[in-house]
Amino acid sequence: MANEGPKSQTILVVGGGISGVTAAVEAAEVGYEVVLLERGPVIGGRVAQLNRYFPKLCHPACGLEINFQRIRKNRKLKLLTMASVVGVEGRKGDYRVTVKTTPRYVNANCTACGACAEATEMEVPDPFNFGLSKVKAAYLPHEHAYPMRYVVAPEAIGTPEAEKIKAACSYGAVDLEEKEQTFDLTAGAIVWATGWSPYDPAKIDSYNYVHSPDIVTNMEMERLANHAGPTGGKIVRPSNGEAAKHVALIQCAGSRDHNHLPYCSRICCLGSLKHAAYLREQYEDAEVDIYYIDIRAHDKLEAFYQKVAADPQVRFIKSKPGSIVVGEDGRPTVCGEDTITREIYKNPYDLVVLATGMQPNAAGDYHPPMSLEADDYGFVVPALEGDDGIIPAGVAAAPHDVSLSVQSATAAALKAIQAVGGRAGSGQS
Amino acid sequence: MSVAPPEESKRKYDLGFASWVYENVEGGDKLAMCMQCGVCSGSCPIGTEMDHGPRKLFMMIRAGMKEAVLASNTMWNCTACFNCVVRCPREVPVAYILKGLGSAAVDLGYAKKEDTVRFSKAFWWSARTYGRTDERLVTAKYYFSGGLVAGMKKGLENSKIALGMIKAKRMHLGASHKIKDRKGLQAILAKAAEIEAREKEG
Repeated sequence: MANEGPKSQTILVVGGGISGVTAAVEAAEVGYEVVLLERGPVIGGRVAQLNRYFPKLCHPACGLEINFQRIRKNRKLKLLTMASVVGVEGRKGDYRVTVKTTPRYVNANCTACGACAEATEMEVPDPFNFGLSKVKAAYLPHEHAYPMRYVVAPEAIGTPEAEKIKAACSYGAVDLEEKEQTFDLTAGAIVWATGWSPYDPAKIDSYNYVHSPDIVTNMEMERLANHAGPTGGKIVRPSNGEAAKHVALIQCAGSRDHNHLPYCSRICCLGSLKHAAYLREQYEDAEVDIYYIDIRAHDKLEAFYQKVAADPQVRFIKSKPGSIVVGEDGRPTVCGEDTITREIYKNPYDLVVLATGMQPNAAGDYHPPMSLEADDYGFVVPALEGDDGIIPAGVAAAPHDVSLSVQSATAAALKAIQAVGGRAGSGQS
Repeated sequence: MSVAPPEESKRKYDLGFASWVYENVEGGDKLAMCMQCGVCSGSCPIGTEMDHGPRKLFMMIRAGMKEAVLASNTMWNCTACFNCVVRCPREVPVAYILKGLGSAAVDLGYAKKEDTVRFSKAFWWSARTYGRTDERLVTAKYYFSGGLVAGMKKGLENSKIALGMIKAKRMHLGASHKIKDRKGLQAILAKAAEIEAREKEG
């Protein structure tokens, strides 16, 4: 028996977003040893950046908090942040995985007291807010950060600011000598849940994203609407801070487009309906125009579409805009043809939100360091034959919304359990 | 551009028209990719001058509105700026299809009075004959192609411009400029016509 079973029953989960966290927690709670790797300083991924979920408009922080508790209480689950996979060898039941950690410059002694942030004047663009605001060079990634531990920005290292940061810490938590490291670990199965990045809107030349601060993306809109975001939750024009009351939401900005992402990301229609709800909630006189090719509110989400569509101050314009130009008064102006009335329009707005799609990180800057099958768009597909010990989950596998990601992650956890032998605690290497 | 419903006379539907376009018009086979998003019409710098933008014209093709499509001014207003081709999310070669539809309209006798067609014919005549464009002859040919009276009227209207061009040496009064090897050019054109005819057959 000892020779036949998997050498390792450890399940490695790569990516600490909602999918990775779900897969890790599900597998650990039925008794498996789980290692969860996150390449950033905190887990929660894209979900942590969302203001609300569709269709119920509840707060993502709530569900994340429950998952953080589950991780904290589970001794079978080991979480490593600032860690990414750089090499995988072996096969199902016996993988040797090379992990690289990048320095965070803050060790586990950190109590998140914040003295380091107060000590420095240096500021860096806040990655959590997509650079719409700045943070101190020693910062907590966000208010619900897990692990609740500060980070020192690499920009500060080697400057006198770093010394100030170090001197301010009375717990000896700042370690400026921290270096990049690599080490190996063994695993019997790997869940690949490396998630996605927003499509780069600068690539859609005719939408002039780079030429107007009042043209933002849907993910930036999430931060603008969030109480912890750059504007404290007030949806305003980034150019001058005035209330954004007349807003255009552009669907399929670089999606379903052979020049950009040829596929539908499935979340953007609902995301924009949600943005319309944010605006209508915030301003009684807000007017929202949604430019769309078709509204793809699939199955149960149709009800949310109906609800938003019933609002007379939300207008639906069936048209993929040809261009967005910056008008003489500086306002972004959406130009195109209304395909129902056949009118050529030129509509100025306070704010234009581009609903950009999801691009799998596995096809971008987090290439799997082993041969994995991917579809034409870079989403990782499960192996039909051969090695089925590596299981894709969440948006690494397909453009999923949060609930579908969680379903996909739960399924991946079960497949990983089957891959390592099916019975926790038996055949341990 | 608000458009009234097509006139009764134009409501002639030819159900085989779409497949005819798919097979016979340059780029027509790509028309099936069109998802009616409106980017082409919305990106067109002179879309307001067209009686139908490309998107609507493509829908009319699918609907079989042969008469209305071939009599439309859409293809004649296209300046081939290629905004639509570059931006089309489905890689439909919009400007090429419009050009193909234009040729089809000429071949089938729909566009006799169209300004652009008359000008193109005059231009092509000069290019073919001399290997160069002779502004004077092209203009004259184009002006008078609409009839003697119309031609004289237009000529008088623009005489000031003509004089200015002569003064600035942009137009000359002597014999037409010609390329050296006109026979060579004609041989090339004859070969091109031969290839085109062969491709149309086979």
